[in-house]
Order: sequence, then structure tokens, then C-alpha cells
Amino acid sequence: MKNLVVFGTESHPKLTESICEHLCLDIGRVELSKFSNGETSVRIKQSVRGCDVYIVSPASGQVNDHLMELLIMISACKTASAKKVTAVLPVFPYSRQPDQKFSFSGAPLSDLQDAVVPCKKQTGYHPWIAQSGTLVADLLMCSGADHIITMDLHDPQFQGFFDIPVDNLFGRPLLKHYISLNIPNYHNAVIVSPDAGGAKRATAIADALGLDFALIHKNRRHEYGTSLMLVGDVQNKVAILIDDLIDTAYTLVRAAEFVKEHGASKIYALVTHCVLSGDAIERVKLSCIDKLIVTNTAPQTITPSGCFDIIDVAPTFAEAIRRIHNGESISILYDHNQVWV
Amino acid sequence: MKSATIIGGGSHPELLHLISNRLGITPCDVSLKRFANGETSVEIRESVRDKDVFILQSGSSTVNDSLMELLIIISACKGGSAKRITAVMPYFPYSKQSKMRKYRDAITARMVANLLTVAGVDHIITLDLHASQMQGFFTRPVDNLYAEPNIAEWIRRNVDDWEEAVVVSKNPGGAKRVTSLADTLNLDFALINTDRQRSSHFSQNFEDSIMDETEATETHVTNCSVYLDRPRIHTAKYLLGHIIDDEEIITTPASVCSEDYAQEVNLYSQGGCPSDDDEEENIMSASIYAERMITLVGDVNGKTALLIDDTIENPTAFIVASEHLVKRCGAKRVIVIGTHGIFQNKCLKDLQSCEYIEQIVVTNTYPIKPQAVLECDKLTVIDISGVLAEAIRRTHNGESISFLFKKAF
Repeated sequence: MKNLVVFGTESHPKLTESICEHLCLDIGRVELSKFSNGETSVRIKQSVRGCDVYIVSPASGQVNDHLMELLIMISACKTASAKKVTAVLPVFPYSRQPDQKFSFSGAPLSDLQDAVVPCKKQTGYHPWIAQSGTLVADLLMCSGADHIITMDLHDPQFQGFFDIPVDNLFGRPLLKHYISLNIPNYHNAVIVSPDAGGAKRATAIADALGLDFALIHKNRRHEYGTSLMLVGDVQNKVAILIDDLIDTAYTLVRAAEFVKEHGASKIYALVTHCVLSGDAIERVKLSCIDKLIVTNTAPQTITPSGCFDIIDVAPTFAEAIRRIHNGESISILYDHNQVWV
Repeated sequence: MKSATIIGGGSHPELLHLISNRLGITPCDVSLKRFANGETSVEIRESVRDKDVFILQSGSSTVNDSLMELLIIISACKGGSAKRITAVMPYFPYSKQSKMRKYRDAITARMVANLLTVAGVDHIITLDLHASQMQGFFTRPVDNLYAEPNIAEWIRRNVDDWEEAVVVSKNPGGAKRVTSLADTLNLDFALINTDRQRSSHFSQNFEDSIMDETEATETHVTNCSVYLDRPRIHTAKYLLGHIIDDEEIITTPASVCSEDYAQEVNLYSQGGCPSDDDEEENIMSASIYAERMITLVGDVNGKTALLIDDTIENPTAFIVASEHLVKRCGAKRVIVIGTHGIFQNKCLKDLQSCEYIEQIVVTNTYPIKPQAVLECDKLTVIDISGVLAEAIRRTHNGESISFLFKKAF
């Protein structure tokens, strides 16, 4: 394809490679390095004049370094007279804005606080947590991005943070495809959402596959700590936990243990974005989760095995890039029955 | 509050009156008129120089007029050298359009946020935004207050058996908001899901499997008391806004069902994010002959069901859910609770005439016609002017408003 260039930052070179492979392109040549004072250096090593540039950079690992790489690369391409620059962000940085404080390991701090200091006086002050999503959106637009492609935004409202087009692709068809093809006896399974916020996402998949649905939510009626409550029935059934992001895996592991206690015969976990920070991998292996299935929107340190499986999103992004470059409609990508392989 | 003044737009004079009384100040004298060509005219008849101006304007049935009026008032105060301008919008207009529901839709709520910023607003106070992430649309501070403490207080005072009630979310999208209320009151939680994709053929098989499951459950109950506490799945079909009994004969023309169903599938499969029920119903009025499945996840047998959503706009989803809760799931009664009582068209009449709904509770964020209130004896309006007045007072004095998130006013 003429005038099409795909670059990648250091965050996920394999995905960039895979996307270019599907598009029959060579990866764009760029030199990324660091000066001795820690600053990022970007040198575009080929002409991008008049080109349609796509920069693949999911948030993972050194999030801030990769974000700066992306911003500087966008700015460099703009300065080099690129016609259009599109940021491809399979995982959107700073997209999770937690409602309550977390400790480093991922365990909710309220558990620890309540247990250690049960008589702590309630001052009434509700802590304000910075909303970084708008800032990231503004940074991308200021650096010169003309278009954004992402997948399964944690909140669909993020599209409204931008003044430029945002194509929010869906991982749901891939998850559906995997469930119907790879989970034995899935007709009797129950789709479970590990928290109340994900109920909409989980019911959409349950409806599409004609399955039952269940929901886990925190029950704070006890004076000390929080406990979980299950709404629905998983007794003697296969439970399929659906979430959009797994990071420390704390919530998912607790949900799996809870579902096991309520009689689930087998537990699968399907997650779109898999970051697995800290000791998350060990936690998942030791947990009640029989199999964890994730996509490769973020680089994976796990390998497909009895415990893990990986769904490839490169074909979906390649198709999106091809259609956007050719000026075609990408509505077909929103068809929840269509899967690109 | 010497250097503060409050200006009321034309949409909700009653709320302006209540808030002014609580704050002990007189609203600023403004003249709101319409020119013969339909344009809005605003004249501020008092000095607002160096004042902290609070402009109260909610959504209304003439939402575009109200929005334009608000923008013009903001611009007028800006021109009049106001020190700071705060828009108090109990119901944020276009808040349902906060995401791309289908591809190529406009995110109108974001545009409204931009319009307010361009007009010159410095601060926004609103209540129960449809999605709290909408605060990210603004480059100005947004205080999103909650009606939940007031609603919880009303439940405690007015529902006799509230300690055994069940909080029911009308759709999956509202689960997060509703579980928060369930936690506040220490109540059980249940969820209603309307399935728009299942075919009639599958429904029949699904019903059969549900029957089998019910029989198995009954067997278990006789043998082991542990299962008595087990939540259950309750599913039913509904057509034309009512639950269909198993034996009921459907006389709908088959061709109409097929065509509308195909249209429905196309609408959904081409759509973007999963739709809220209300939005879907507006568009798919042509598909009223399509059968759908309604599912309750949770248990309301013998209990009072508190059916909760953030807005009450269209009656159908509430009526179907209430009928399902009472007829099929054994709920003792249903109380419908929402923050914003928008009541489009004959919504209030339909809810009033539904035998399964015992009470309708909303706050006064949205102007409701006094005539409608008189005609509907089921309707209860909670006064949330205290929350807004306290927010205005604290904002003006530079105090923290965190207290408002937990306490009813």
C-alpha cells in the first residue's frame, strides 16, 4: 500500500511486527534511545513526507517512557511533514481511574485500614483522585495526533475526551469466538462479572451466546473489611469470568475463589487487556482459575499452556489500519459476529 | 454570603426558590425574554462585578432553549466582570449521549461541555451524571454530587420493611450505581437484564431448561436447607410491553415478527457500545412485535423490590420489569426510584396505571409540571435543594464538599 508507514515504540515490538506482517509491510525504521540524562531520543530514519503514519504503542511496562516515546514520535512525524499521524493504542494509558485507594500489591487499602484500626475516626473527607485520562488525551492531541485507534476502553466516555476521531475497537467478538470454539460444554456455562462496573460488558457476551449471567459485588455491610456477594447461580456449572483488564489480578483471583466456593465446576477467565504486574502470574497459577485467556494487546510474558492461552488481536488492528488508510468504513469491525484471524 | 449571587434560568423556578431560601439570599434580578424571531434575550439588572455568580439551570422539555439561555447568561456575567461563574445544573442536558452508541454518532455531552467552557463558565455543579467519567469532558472543575444519601434516607423513613427489601437495577449498565445504594442500606441486590438477541426458537428451549432446573431445585430444597438461600435466575418472555404467560397464544403475524427481528439484529450487530434500555426503545419502536427475554438475576421472592435507575424517561422498561418482578419472581411490591424524573410524553400516566408499581419516587432535579404531580398519587418528589444549596455555600466559602457524598440534606 502506497504512503502507508507503521512504526512501533519499544512497548510491544511483536505486535507491531505482526500487524505489519498482516499488511505486507516492512516495519518503519526508527531509532529509539535514551540520552545519559534519561531523556528519550527519537530519530525517524526514513522519509514520511506526505505519508499516512501509524504508531503502535500500547501502555505496558515502563508506561511513562513509552508514552513519551509515542508523543515525541508523533511530533517528529508531524515536523517531518507527515500527512496524517494515527496513534494505535491497544491498551490506553492511564485509562483506569480507581474509586478507592490501592496498596502496591493491589489489595484494597480499606481492608487493611479497617482491620488494623477499627476505631479510626471518620473525618468525612472524600479523597480526590486525579483523573489522568483527560490529561493523556490532551497530551496526544497537543503532540499532533490526528486519529486514535484503541480497543476496549475501560469507559466508552473516553472517546469524548478527544477532539479528534477515536476508533474504539471491540475485543468482544474475539472472546465470543474463543468461548464457542475452545471451551467444552460452553452451552451450560455461566458468564460471571467480577465487579458491578463490568456487568454491562458481561451481560452483552452472555446475551450474544445465550448463556446465564451472574455478578459479584463487594458487600460492605460488615463493620470490618469487605466481603463478596454473588448474585446468580453457578452451582455445578462452568464459570467464565469476563473482564477488560487484568493487572495485579487481585480482583479476578478473589472472584475466582468466591465462585469456586459457590460450587462452580470449572473456572475460565477471559480478559481483553493483560498486564500482569508484580507477582500476578504466580497468583493466577496458584488460584482457582483453571485457565486464563487473554489477548496480546500488551506484551505477554506467559506462554500458551494448560493454564494460559493467548488470542491474537493483530489481524483486527491490521484490518482497521487498512480500512482507515483506504478511507473505507470500519463499521464491519463493530459486527460482533465477525472475527478477523 | 456577601459577594455571592444566584441567578435562575427559566427552566426550574421552583428549585431556585427553594435554594435561595436555604441560602438566605435573594436571587439576582434578571429579565429573560424571547424576541419575536425566537432568539433568547437576557438582561441582568444588578451589578455582578467581582461577584461569585451561581447560575441555576436544569435540563427541561425545551432543552435547547434552556441550554442557549444558560450560555447567554454565562456570557453576560462574563461581560459584566463577574469574578467567578458557576453553572449549577442538577440534570445535565444530553447526558445520555456521552458515548458513541453507534458508529458515527456524535458525543453531544462533550460538545455541551465545550460550549459551556467557551461561554466562560469557571465551575460546574451537577448531580448524578449518567456516567461519572463525563467529568473528563471538562477542562473546568466539576462537582458531581449524589442523590443517593437522600434516596437512602427516604427509603429508611418511608418503606416500612426496608430492612428486608431488595435493590434491583433496571439494566446491567446501572449495576455500579445500584450496588452502591445496596451497600449504603445493607440490602440485597438483584439485576434485570433484557436480552435483545435471542431467537424465539432458542427461547423455547431455554424455558424448558429453566423448568428442569426448577424441578431440580425443588428436589434439593426437600433434602438440604443450604439451598434455601441460593439466588435463582428468573426468565420470562415479553411482548408489546407485557409479560407473556407460557400458555398465552400469540396472534402476531409471523412475517411481521421475522422482519422486525431481522431489523433488530441488524441494528444491534452494527451498533457500537451496548445500549441502555431507554435509548434502544426509542429507536426500535418499529420492532414492538419482537419477542424479548427479560431475566432477573437474584431473588426478590416475598420482598419489596426497589427498582432503581438514574432517570425515569420511558415507562415501558419499568412496567415490564415491575410486572416480571411481581408476577414471575414473587416480589411483594415494587417501588420505582430514580434521581431525574423526566417523564416523557405519557410516561407518568402509564406508570400510574400499572398495577404492579406501588410508588414512584424521584427528586426535584428536573421540573415536573404541577398538574402531572396532582394527577399521579403514586408520585413522590424528594427535595434535594438542600444538597445543592450546601454545595453552593461550600463552593463559595472554599470549603470541602466531601461531606455531601455521605450525608442527606
